[in-house]
Amino acid sequence: MGKEIIPAAEKSLNLIRGRLCDPSYVFRPLSASSDSNYSKLKFIVSTSITEGCNNSILLLGPRGSGKAAVLDLVVGDLLEEFPDSVSLIRLNGLLHSDDNCAFKEIARQLCMEHHLLFSKMASLDENSQFIVAMLRECGLAHKTIIFVLDEFDMFAQGKQRLLYSLLDAMQSVTSQAVVIGLSSRLDADQLLEKRVRSRFSHRKILFLPPSREEFDGLLEHLLSLPADSSFPNGYVSRFNEKIKNITSDTRFKDILRTLFNANSTVNSLLKFIFRAVSLMNLESGLLSLENFKAALSSMQRQPKLEAVRDCSILELYLLVCMRRLEVKEQSAYNIISVMKEYKTIHDSFQTSDYYAQNVCLRAFEHLRERQVICYTENRGQSQTGEYRPMKLLISASELHQGMRSHACCPAILLKLLDH
Amino acid sequence: MPAIAGPSSSPQKHVVGSRLEVTGGLRSAEVNTCRKRKLRSDSAAEVSSSTPVNSISTPMKWKSPRRCAVSIPKTADEEIKEDSNGNLASPVISAVKNLSVCLDVESKWNPRDEEQMKAVKEALHVSKAPSTVVCREDEQRRVSEFVKSCMEQNKAGSLYICGCPGTGKSLSMEKVRQQADDWAKQAGLPCSETVSVNCTSLTKTTDIFSKILGKNESGSKANGSSSPLQQLQSLFSQKQQQSSSKMMLIIADEMDYLITRDRGVLHELFMLTTLPFSRCILIGVANAIDLADRFLPKLKSLNCKPLVVTFRAYSKEQILRILQERLVALPYVAFQSNALEICARKVSAASGDMRKALCVCRSALEILEIEARGSIDQEPQGPVPECQVVKMDHMLAALSKTFKSPVVDTIQSLPQHQQIIVCSAAKAFRGSKKDRTIAELNKLYLEICKSSTITPAGITEFTNMCTVLNDQGILKLSQARDEKLRRVSLRVDEADITFALKEIRFFRNCLL
Repeated sequence: MGKEIIPAAEKSLNLIRGRLCDPSYVFRPLSASSDSNYSKLKFIVSTSITEGCNNSILLLGPRGSGKAAVLDLVVGDLLEEFPDSVSLIRLNGLLHSDDNCAFKEIARQLCMEHHLLFSKMASLDENSQFIVAMLRECGLAHKTIIFVLDEFDMFAQGKQRLLYSLLDAMQSVTSQAVVIGLSSRLDADQLLEKRVRSRFSHRKILFLPPSREEFDGLLEHLLSLPADSSFPNGYVSRFNEKIKNITSDTRFKDILRTLFNANSTVNSLLKFIFRAVSLMNLESGLLSLENFKAALSSMQRQPKLEAVRDCSILELYLLVCMRRLEVKEQSAYNIISVMKEYKTIHDSFQTSDYYAQNVCLRAFEHLRERQVICYTENRGQSQTGEYRPMKLLISASELHQGMRSHACCPAILLKLLDH
Repeated sequence: MPAIAGPSSSPQKHVVGSRLEVTGGLRSAEVNTCRKRKLRSDSAAEVSSSTPVNSISTPMKWKSPRRCAVSIPKTADEEIKEDSNGNLASPVISAVKNLSVCLDVESKWNPRDEEQMKAVKEALHVSKAPSTVVCREDEQRRVSEFVKSCMEQNKAGSLYICGCPGTGKSLSMEKVRQQADDWAKQAGLPCSETVSVNCTSLTKTTDIFSKILGKNESGSKANGSSSPLQQLQSLFSQKQQQSSSKMMLIIADEMDYLITRDRGVLHELFMLTTLPFSRCILIGVANAIDLADRFLPKLKSLNCKPLVVTFRAYSKEQILRILQERLVALPYVAFQSNALEICARKVSAASGDMRKALCVCRSALEILEIEARGSIDQEPQGPVPECQVVKMDHMLAALSKTFKSPVVDTIQSLPQHQQIIVCSAAKAFRGSKKDRTIAELNKLYLEICKSSTITPAGITEFTNMCTVLNDQGILKLSQARDEKLRRVSLRVDEADITFALKEIRFFRNCLL
C-alpha cells in the first residue's frame, strides 16, 4: 500500500512510448489490408523494379497522415526483397529546391552509394552529365534508382529544371528510375509546368484519415502489452483488461470524438496517446480515463482563456469596461475613457471595488504583459501615456468563457457584460 | 506506307485463309468446326510472322468486332485501303466473328502470366519509341524535305517546330535525323553533323554557342579572346577553305528556355543562319505557337523568318490508331476495342497528349492485374474463368484515377471543424470580395457553430486549422505581422465544395 513504483509499470511505460515513437510499428496494422496505400505503393514500385520500366508517383495527404512512414515501410521491404537492384536517393524540397543544390546532392548521394569520389568543385553541367551517365549505367546493370522528393511542391517553384531533367531522363529506354513525390498540397501536380506535367505519369495515392474501426484496431495494437515472460503474470492481463474497459467506455469515445473533430490525422492521435500514457500512475501501473481527459485538455489549450482565468477582479472590471466601450461602437479608446466608464459603472451600480488611478494603471500594465490588451498602432499620431489608444486581444466569447470559469468572478460583472 | 498496310492487310489474309473453309458453320459456334478452323487459323497465324490479330479484338460481346472492322477503313487515310476494306466488309465481319470465337476458345492472353503482362506494358510504355511513327507523316515529310533541300543546295536555313507537349515532336525529330543521315549517304553528300541541345540543361543561355562551336569540324576551340558567338559569326562570314564542307544540323529542344528579357540569344541564334557563308540548319522545338512572331520580329524584316511546322494535338482517331499500332506486334489481345476507344475519346477531348493516353492504358492494365491476382488468392486452382481482357470498367476506373482531382475526396474526409471552416469560406467568398482576414472568417465560423450547437474552437486552434488547410492547398493564407490580420482566400472552386459536402444535410442547408 506504500508509494513505491512497480518496476513493471516503468517497463511497460517505456515499451509503449517506444512503440509510439516508431512509425513503422504504428503503421503496420494500417497497411495490412490489400486495399491500403501501402500495398498500392508497393505494387507500383515493385512492378517497376521487376519489369525494369520507369514510373512516377505522387503521394498526397495532410501533414501527419503517414506518407513518409508508409514510404519507409515500402522502401525497407523492397531493400530486403531486392538487395542489389535498388538504390535510393532522397531529396527534400525545403533544402534542395535550388537546382544547383539539388544536382549536387544527387551526385553526392550517388557517389556515396557506389563508392565513388565526390568532388565539391563540380559545376552544374558536370553534375548533370554525371547523373545522366549513372542513370544509363544503372539501367544497363538492371539496377533501379528510386528518387524520393519530399515536399514536392517546393520543387515546383521557379523553372522546375530538376523535375524536368529527372522526368525527361525517364522517357528514355536506357534509364531505370522511379520518382516518388510526397506533398501535402492536393494540387501539387497542377503546379507543374505543362511540359513537366506531360512527362509525369499522373499516378496519385491519396492518404485519407483512417476510419473509426481502423482507429480502434490501432489503439488496441498500440496499447496492449505482449504476454511474454518479462512482465509479471497478472500484470499484463490486468493492464489489457483495463485498456479494454476504457476503450469501450462512452466517455472515452466522446473524448476521441472531440479530438477527431479538430484533427483526424494519425499523428495527432499518437501525440494524444503519448501524453496520456506519460501521465500514467506509476504506483498502480494501469492507465485510467482521467489520463486521457487530462491529455485532451493539454492538447486543446486555450491560452487566452487561461490568462483571463488568472486575472484579478480589478483587471476583470477593466476588461468588461473595454468590452462595453466596444459594444458602444467606440472603436478607439484609451485609458482615460476606460477609467471614465469604470467610474460610471461604479456610480450606477454602487460596486464595492473601486480603486484609485495608479492601481488601475498597474492593472493595465499587467494585462498588457499578458497580451490580453495591447496598444493599437497609429501612423503619424504619437500620443504618449494615457492617451494612446488600446484594444482587446480576446474575443467577447473568450472573455465570457474565461469569466464564467473564473474562481471568484462577481456576478455583477457577468450581468454588465451581457448588457 | 508500310505502317498503314499492316492492320488492313491482315483481314485479307485471314479472310483468304478461312474463306476456303466457308461452310454452313459460319454462324454457329459449334466446338468441332471451331476446333478445325482454329487449327487452320493457327497455321495462318504462323505463316505471317507479324500477324496483327489483335486489331480485330476478341471480346465476348458480338458487337465490337463489327465496330472494329468497320473502324479500320476510317483510320486508313488512303483510298486504296478504303476500297479494299469496303469490299471486304461483310465477309470480314463474319470471318472475324468466327475468328474471335476460335480465339476465345484458345486465347493466349493470360493476365496472370508475368511475361505477357510485362511485354504488353513495355509496348505501352512512353519510353519505347515505336518502329514506325504513325499519324505524323505529313509533318515529318515537310521537315525532311526542308532538311534535304538545305543539304542539296548547301544553303543554311531555319525551321521552327511548335506544338503542345506529348504530340510527337521529339520523336519525329529523331526519325528525321536518321532519315537525313540515310539520305545523305545515298545521295553521296557528306553526312551532316548534328548538334542536339536540350536548352533546359544550359546554365547560361549563351552556352549554346560554345556547344555549337565545340562540335564545329574545323576544330577551333573557344579561345579567351572573343566570345563563342563572335567566333561563330566570324567563321560563317568568311569563305571556307574546303569546298565541300559539311552542313551542321542544330536541333534546339525546349527553345523557350533561351528567351531572355532582351531576346538577344534567340535572335543571334537565328541570325547565324542568315550569314553569307553559314552552314547550319537550325531546327527549334518549343510549345508556343507564336514564338517566331512574338520574339523574333527583326527576322521578318530581314525576310528570313523561319519556316513553321505545327504539330497539332492528336484527335481521337489518331490516338486510337497509335494505340492499336503499338499493340499490333503482340500475338495476343489484351484490350477490348471499346475500352481503347473511350480512352482515346477522353484524352483527345482533354488535351490530345499521347503520353497521357499511354499512361491511362498502363494504369488500366494494372487494375486488371490486381483483379486477376486477387482472384488467385481466392481460388488458386482452375483455369482462367473467362477471357480477362481490359474491359470498359477497367478503363473507366483508370480514367477517373487520372483525371479526377483529389479535392472532393479530401474535403469529404476532413474533420468536422475543418469542414465548417471550408463551408464558411465558401459562403464568405461568394460575392465579389475575394479575400478576408482571419478574424472575419472566424466570425462566420462562430455563427455557423452557434446555429448548430457545436462548441467552436478557440482562436488559436482556429488559426492552426486554417494553416493546415493552407498546407493542403484548400485555402490561401498570406503573411502578416499580426496573426489576426492575415488575409485568407479560397483556392478551391465553390462548386467542388458544394458537391463534396452535399451528403451532409447540415452543410447542404448552410450552403444554400
